[in-house]
Amino acid sequence: MANQLTLAVAGSRKTQGIVEHCARLLPERRALVLTFTQANQEELRRRLGQRAGDHLGIEVMGWFTFLLRHFAKPFLPFKFPGARVLGFSFEGRPDRYAKGLSRFLDRNGAAYACELGRLANELLGASKGALLHRLESLYDEILIDEVQDLSAHDWEIVDALLHSSIQIRMVGDIRQSVLATNPRGTKNKRYAYAEAVKWFREREQIGKLTITESVETWRCHPKIAEFSDTIFDPSWVFPSTISRNDVTTNHDGVFLLMKKHVGDYVERFAPQCLRSMAASGKEFNLEYLNFKVAKGSTFARVLIVPTAGISDFLRKGSNLEPVPAASFYVAVTRAEQSVAIVIDNAGTSTLPCWMP
Amino acid sequence: MITKIKIRGYRIYTDFTLSPNAKLNLIVGGNEAGKSTLMEAIALALTGRIGGRSASEELNPHWFNAGVVAEFVAKIERGERPRFPEIHIELYFADKPELQRLCGAINTEVPTLACPGLSLRIMPNPDYADELTRWMAKPSSLLPVEFYLVDWRSFADERITNRPRQLAAAIIDSRTVRSSSGVDYHLRQILGDHLDPPERAAVSLAYRELKATMSTTALDAINKRIGTIHASLHDQPISLAMDQSARTAWDGVVTPHVNDVPFSMSGQGQQAAIKISLALNRNAGHAAFVMIEEPENHLSHTSLTTLLSRIEALTGDHQQLFITTHSTFVLNRLGLDAILLLAHGKTSKITTLDPETVSYFQRLPGYDTLRMALAKKIVLVEGPSDEIVFERFFKDLFGRRPMELGIDVISMRGLSLARCLEFCAALDKPVAAMRDNDGTDPAELSTSVEAWLSPGKRELFIGKVAHGHTLEPQIVHHNGEATLRSLLGITATADLHKWMSREKTETAFRIAGATCKLTPPEYMREAAAFIHG
Repeated sequence: MANQLTLAVAGSRKTQGIVEHCARLLPERRALVLTFTQANQEELRRRLGQRAGDHLGIEVMGWFTFLLRHFAKPFLPFKFPGARVLGFSFEGRPDRYAKGLSRFLDRNGAAYACELGRLANELLGASKGALLHRLESLYDEILIDEVQDLSAHDWEIVDALLHSSIQIRMVGDIRQSVLATNPRGTKNKRYAYAEAVKWFREREQIGKLTITESVETWRCHPKIAEFSDTIFDPSWVFPSTISRNDVTTNHDGVFLLMKKHVGDYVERFAPQCLRSMAASGKEFNLEYLNFKVAKGSTFARVLIVPTAGISDFLRKGSNLEPVPAASFYVAVTRAEQSVAIVIDNAGTSTLPCWMP
Repeated sequence: MITKIKIRGYRIYTDFTLSPNAKLNLIVGGNEAGKSTLMEAIALALTGRIGGRSASEELNPHWFNAGVVAEFVAKIERGERPRFPEIHIELYFADKPELQRLCGAINTEVPTLACPGLSLRIMPNPDYADELTRWMAKPSSLLPVEFYLVDWRSFADERITNRPRQLAAAIIDSRTVRSSSGVDYHLRQILGDHLDPPERAAVSLAYRELKATMSTTALDAINKRIGTIHASLHDQPISLAMDQSARTAWDGVVTPHVNDVPFSMSGQGQQAAIKISLALNRNAGHAAFVMIEEPENHLSHTSLTTLLSRIEALTGDHQQLFITTHSTFVLNRLGLDAILLLAHGKTSKITTLDPETVSYFQRLPGYDTLRMALAKKIVLVEGPSDEIVFERFFKDLFGRRPMELGIDVISMRGLSLARCLEFCAALDKPVAAMRDNDGTDPAELSTSVEAWLSPGKRELFIGKVAHGHTLEPQIVHHNGEATLRSLLGITATADLHKWMSREKTETAFRIAGATCKLTPPEYMREAAAFIHG
């Protein structure tokens, strides 16, 4: 069977698709489900436990664990004879000019998360096929959730997997790329974000991949879906989102909210408050979630404290850069019924303004 | 299938590498050559256990190579800072898809090699660095194993806690001590592996239910009575019930019976035979490795024959056998080409042996090939009389018997010289071979065995035709009729040559015992000088 990629919008039940696929798996098939965030792993494990709990051949693993367990740990000696990976350093960064082993491992032998993709990719080549052969023997299928979150060297690894005998199924939403594996890395920058689509299309042309696009959201209200489409530069030609959410409440859609009304609004609608990062939104005493953390979650209503870039986008219609655009898209598409954005001067925005 | 075994620092082995045969390995060697230790090391790395108990529980200072430890202690005493001795056993497996989880390059191969494998290291525990430093102040030859840890990993650098399923090993040790439960650990393991999972589950379930019925039948009345006794701390009622914990699982009480006699009550030979039959199986999914120590123990010749044919018949293609033996019968019967010769922590493997030669010795299983395999130097002679006479002349020449110098004089008793030489050549043994010329030119006789000869290492010695066709005329030729007549006590009227060829062994016996000086036949003297070196 051919490798498959499903590109879908937020709320289109991508993860559900993976769970359902696993539930249909024949008992002897061995599948590995890869995801990017801890929260998503837990979610997948929980849902698989309900739908395919009796299938012992399904493994759920984070991307970094995958690279550590099946690439770095077993095969490190192919690049550095005698060396071993003794741990994992998520926060650590190698010295900018570090060469050789110290580029990949810290003094205690822990592998730097940010360089793990590069290391894994180099070992893939250095092991002369042993690494891929091992993976092919271990798994019949590899499913990758949130495939848009892979970056830099990860793409090379996915490429190798696409050329292996393992059946690859990927789901993702290019609009939601907010995580990056290597904060300093430049490799494959051209694949980042919207460019990723092009990368996939190239694989489709050589017959390594079938791409299906799904533009239906089961989560976002039509008005939210419509607004989410406007976040991206029209030149990126994303297809328009179609909403299948036909729930109506007394407060549906995207609203602007003046700072002085935040208190009233929160009291009335109890939205999940979202901010770009811990440093933002300090002027209000609210229970925030950062955009990144909120990824994968669903809330009935959200309130967003915008960044300067988002405010400019709302006031003047100036296009957002790819990274902030993706992250704003994530925030907006968390909501089922309503999105409120805190802004005092609405400029040319045509969005309705909420008043108490 | 194990393709390579590396043992470092374990008992007799300082640094040992062995590439075993794919199917059958017959491990032979003198006493203390390390046969059992090799089996132990394989089992240790394969199962993480030794004699059924985990390696860390059983670890003791005598596991470490005495030489390595002595050197370590000497270095400390010289004020150096050596590394603590370690034990490292590595098993390399064939690159099979089902073993790929164990595949990786975390092994000691140079250049870097990725293959499935297991590595067991016993090394100082860094958590006890202080204690270890304190110990070093007053070192002894007994290492502080309390501060050591057992690190059992795959070549993928993943820690292993339980024996991987595909690597099921059956260990059959005919020296097994009877265990109190009647079923020892190894037998339980073998039994468990022999049953299919559904069979196992069915037995387990039935046993549980059986135990449960006890509670509702025989124990019920008792419980009614003792329920009123308030003996516990907080006066909760007490009752008797069958223990359903894992300790009392079925495999502790279900045991094979032979003719209605429980396994543990049957003879040791019978026990070994049953274990072997259970462990060997042509169907996949059973023990991949079968290790049998000295199957000849406790068995009569007939039973051993039965057992060996059972081993041959039952061994599946996927099974790799390791058998230690002291029996030449086992060796010949199972195939000489599978021999692994151990001596002083080193092995030699047979390189090439004509399959016909293997089956030649299989048909002659009583023949002492093991002696050939274990000897340092070999003298091959035709028969017992040659053997006796050679021993005498050797002692005359060098003042000591050949055996005292590690030279084994072996009589071929009608066996093909070529086959014996081929076997010796395959093991690269130094050999002096002798034969009668029977009236044929020696040069012509040696052409047929030329392939197995090697100047300075293996040579063939044949007397000149002019000096006589067999041993007896040769002796007469070199010493004169008169000397022999008096030595053998033969009257002048009797025919000396006829008497000697009729009473071959008696002649040899009398020559051996004669006190007078005798000249050895030329070829025998040369052979003795050659093998003496």
